[in-house]
Amino acid sequence: MAITSFSFLTLVLAAAVLYRLLPQSARWWALLAASLVFYAAGGAAAMAYLAVTAVSTYAAALLLQRENDRRRAMEEDKRRETRKRYDRRRRLVVGAAGLMNFGMLFAIKYWDAAVQGLSGLPTLGLVVPVGISFYIFQSIGYVIDVSRGKIKAERNFPRYLLFVCFFPQMVQGPIDRFGHLAPQLYAGRAPGAEEVRDGIQLMMWGFFKKLVIASRAGIVVDAVYGDAGAYPGCASVFAVLMYTIQLYCDFSGGIDIVRGVAGIFGIDMAENFRRPIFSLSLAEFWRRWHMTLGAWMRDYVFYPLSLSRACAALGRFSRKRLGGMFGRILPTSLATFIVYFIIGIWHGANLTFLAFGLYNGIIITASILLAPLYGKVKTALRIREESAWYRAFCMARTCFAVFIGRYLTRAPWLKMSLVMLKRSVFDLHLRQLPATVLGLGMSGGDCAVVAAGCAVLLAVEFLQERGVKIRKTLAERSPFVQWLAMIIPLAVILLFGIIGNGGGAGEFIYGRI
Amino acid sequence: MNAKKWLAAFAGTVVLLGLLVLAGNVLIDPFGVFGDVIFHWDSYSQTLNPRVGKIEYLDRHYEEYDSYIIGCSSTSSFPVDKLNEYLDARFYNLFTYGADMMDSENLVRYILEHYRVKNILLNAYIDNGINYDDPGQDSLTEAMHARVDGSSLAAFYLKYLFLDPNFAADKVKDWFSDELLAEPYDVFDVETGCYDKRERDAEPIGALAGYEALPAYSGFADYPTYRVELPNTARAMESLARIRDMCQEAGVNLMVVCGPVFAGYMEGVDREQAAEFYRSLASVTPFWDFSISSVSTEPRYFYDLTHFRNCVGYMAEARMFGDGSIYIPEDFGVYVTEENVESLVERNDAVFAAEPDDSAWTCEVPVLVYHDIAAGGEEGATASLLEDQLRALRDAGYTSVTFEDLKDYVSKGIALPEKSVVITFDDGYRSNYEYAYPLLEKYGMKATIFVIGVSVGHKEFYKDTRNPITPHFDEAEMAEMSDSGVISIQSHTYDMHQWAPYEGEGPVREAVKRLDGESEEAFVEALWEDFDRSRREIEAVTGKTVDVLAYPSGEYSMLSQWALTQRGVHVTLSTRHGVNTLVKGLPQCLSAMYRIYADSYPDGAALVAALDAGAAGE
Repeated sequence: MAITSFSFLTLVLAAAVLYRLLPQSARWWALLAASLVFYAAGGAAAMAYLAVTAVSTYAAALLLQRENDRRRAMEEDKRRETRKRYDRRRRLVVGAAGLMNFGMLFAIKYWDAAVQGLSGLPTLGLVVPVGISFYIFQSIGYVIDVSRGKIKAERNFPRYLLFVCFFPQMVQGPIDRFGHLAPQLYAGRAPGAEEVRDGIQLMMWGFFKKLVIASRAGIVVDAVYGDAGAYPGCASVFAVLMYTIQLYCDFSGGIDIVRGVAGIFGIDMAENFRRPIFSLSLAEFWRRWHMTLGAWMRDYVFYPLSLSRACAALGRFSRKRLGGMFGRILPTSLATFIVYFIIGIWHGANLTFLAFGLYNGIIITASILLAPLYGKVKTALRIREESAWYRAFCMARTCFAVFIGRYLTRAPWLKMSLVMLKRSVFDLHLRQLPATVLGLGMSGGDCAVVAAGCAVLLAVEFLQERGVKIRKTLAERSPFVQWLAMIIPLAVILLFGIIGNGGGAGEFIYGRI
Repeated sequence: MNAKKWLAAFAGTVVLLGLLVLAGNVLIDPFGVFGDVIFHWDSYSQTLNPRVGKIEYLDRHYEEYDSYIIGCSSTSSFPVDKLNEYLDARFYNLFTYGADMMDSENLVRYILEHYRVKNILLNAYIDNGINYDDPGQDSLTEAMHARVDGSSLAAFYLKYLFLDPNFAADKVKDWFSDELLAEPYDVFDVETGCYDKRERDAEPIGALAGYEALPAYSGFADYPTYRVELPNTARAMESLARIRDMCQEAGVNLMVVCGPVFAGYMEGVDREQAAEFYRSLASVTPFWDFSISSVSTEPRYFYDLTHFRNCVGYMAEARMFGDGSIYIPEDFGVYVTEENVESLVERNDAVFAAEPDDSAWTCEVPVLVYHDIAAGGEEGATASLLEDQLRALRDAGYTSVTFEDLKDYVSKGIALPEKSVVITFDDGYRSNYEYAYPLLEKYGMKATIFVIGVSVGHKEFYKDTRNPITPHFDEAEMAEMSDSGVISIQSHTYDMHQWAPYEGEGPVREAVKRLDGESEEAFVEALWEDFDRSRREIEAVTGKTVDVLAYPSGEYSMLSQWALTQRGVHVTLSTRHGVNTLVKGLPQCLSAMYRIYADSYPDGAALVAALDAGAAGE
């Protein structure tokens, strides 16, 4: 069930009505019921995977909680005495839950690709169910939080199940934390009219981004990537540009819809994008893009890695033997590399994603290493870092780096990425662009709609970046203006998003990850 | 506006927009279930869902028909015009794509109950054994009309009321881009119910290699081998028995045929299951079998892997009604009863066992073309070169044949001399009269001259200008040549071969093709007007029929092809280089024929050598 589909909206409406009708203490059942209906639409196999994750992490958390409770009851000396054994057990439980869930994820996503060509090992032919990695990440985060004693394990299984499979976020996140999300899910608080309105507005904004911009921009992407060798370099440039737009609008638009739906139930979900296009550096870009995944990686991979004993030992070694800046940052850089490596693998067991991880890791590390040099250059050229021109330059530079990086992520093989890059430089043939684009099914009207949509998007994000509260400003205008601000977007979504979009409701490009 | 008011306004606006969408679905009515009050575009709704669209159409027009053709999409190729003649009836082709016997039964029951019916031609195509009551049918585009299968009418109308608005939007868009010929969104000829094959039936077809090289027919070159299972034969035949009984009771003449199947497709069908299909079919009713014969081995008789051509449908109908005036392959069509069904099964095995050999129904004919003939000189088309070539052709055993002979070969199967050649001259130059005509007479050969109507008799100037041109013969000379029986005068258009530098302002028609921005309708009108004048003026002089046209500069289109067939012109010539392959029973092999520029060969020997070698490829 796509979240842009009519059936999804019907489900949301039904759940919202049921939610209101139920007494406060029982409202979470409405959310759970809607979530199960949503996931059941994905088929029996999808339900089975969900059950494995929910049961295993539920049980692991209970085990950990028992350990923690027992330990808390101990005397100080006893606690110190048993510390090693306790840590071992804790790791064992977390490890088992992690292995089981990530093992399942691996089996579903990568087994067939991994055993391809190896004789003797059967392929499984499993279909990746929607959003599986999102709920696995979220559940494992929960297990780790329990093991760290940050939160208490949830004993009521249906309640826990709701946390795992809360329906709006099933498709593409955000990956929320138990401590943040669960209390809101269980509270059963009736949202105020403002929250519902804000939720609806956020959903409309998401529909606009997804249906009007992303699905149009996507028209040429598949065609060009399907047979990149057949088109001149300008088609590659155009396709990558469209892909960059498509990815952002599809993903962040989807998140807007998800957060909007949650808002209708009075639930505030974690933010996942903070206008990444205005980032001054690549590192900042990744802090503002898919933020919940970044935070997850930071808390559960990066910190544990860089605070581990092995890392500390490496740090001592490198400072002594290598010295200087490089020696100082080697351990952190290594941890950064590992994080990007994992993110890359998560996106696809493919050389392109490995290259993507390396590409970002190298640029970010290099910019740390070269920071002193930059400082000198800036001083010499009398560049003020706060000046608007310099900031614009930095944003453009970041966008360019992201754009080049996108060459790596969409192509099915690394070689194709490189061929497209090469053609973009040496075989541009800019004059063939209009004919090529039109030949690929994107009409002049589509191009105009994408351009206009992007202009609106940029303008809105620019205002938001400047701190303008658009919705608040709007709410102060006359009712007629407010109504215009409602019907025009609705009409745009209807006329350019649903109609004239070949059946509209596009598949998520970020869903099956 | 506070948040509560905002929410109320939002809900109202959404409902309003929703109502607008529903109103659009009703008024624009893509499936034609609400009367299609604005567009009246039956072909469109029938294309979206013929099971719905055709019934809606017939419910309004059933009084115009008294006989029906029923079956799956290949059934489209049983043309109604000849059937109407044979049976003195008014047929409507009520085929629907992907129809199984359950669809056919439902339709038969419906038309018997609601319309006046004299004859039903039912195609029990071999595919009827594959599916019966297929659950995979799309509920919008493949579902039967609720009035026919008796399902809930309310659900039926609600389904089309709450339609994805893209259907309506597409219909509006298509309405504005629609032109004369069939488009993917309007594939039906509304009055007959058949597919609109104007374009497919006008396209030039020749040698097999060239045919398989066309994108539409590439499937024939590399036919996939897959298995076709017929698990539902028994259910289909039970259904057919009910159809038979219904027709008997209603006193309706039921004719069951088993339509032609492409051999490559049939090879994928389990032989025993196919035999069982025929046996159980024969046990229900006698039928005309056309499924397997030499026709099945000839890809050019098929539009694609599962659809035979209209011309094959004509052959089948002629066989059924004993019409000997057109070509029908010997082994095509058997009336099968329970008595002879076993021999049919054996015969089919023999067809598969035989090596494919199309020599019985194809032949190759080169068409030579000359233009102006110079009196003397060394280079180019001189009178002496022409004489040398004519002599060489005669000595090499070539016989010059006319386009009439070619037509007789194709439509009636009358054999041509072993080494046939057609000689043509374009434009109508006076030199043709002066030099070519006597030489042809001398060597006992015949030729066709394609004259540009407007230039006839112009000996000095281009049309009514003072621009000099090569002299053209006049009407008296034309009459003399035509009367002799040596020369046939045919059309090179009246004035669609204009010479741009000599024309004044405005658009110039250099060839039979659309001007910039000209609509298909306007172009066809212009072509008809031009051709009618050309024909009228030539026929007034020669008293003989004009029904062959050489395209100026060889340029043609499917549109021009179709438009000319509407004027009875079934032979057209291009300037594509090559030898023509004629196929008996396939009129398209006379479309936009290949020609050979004879004066590009230095002498008669070179020309004969090229023709003997199969003439220089295509």
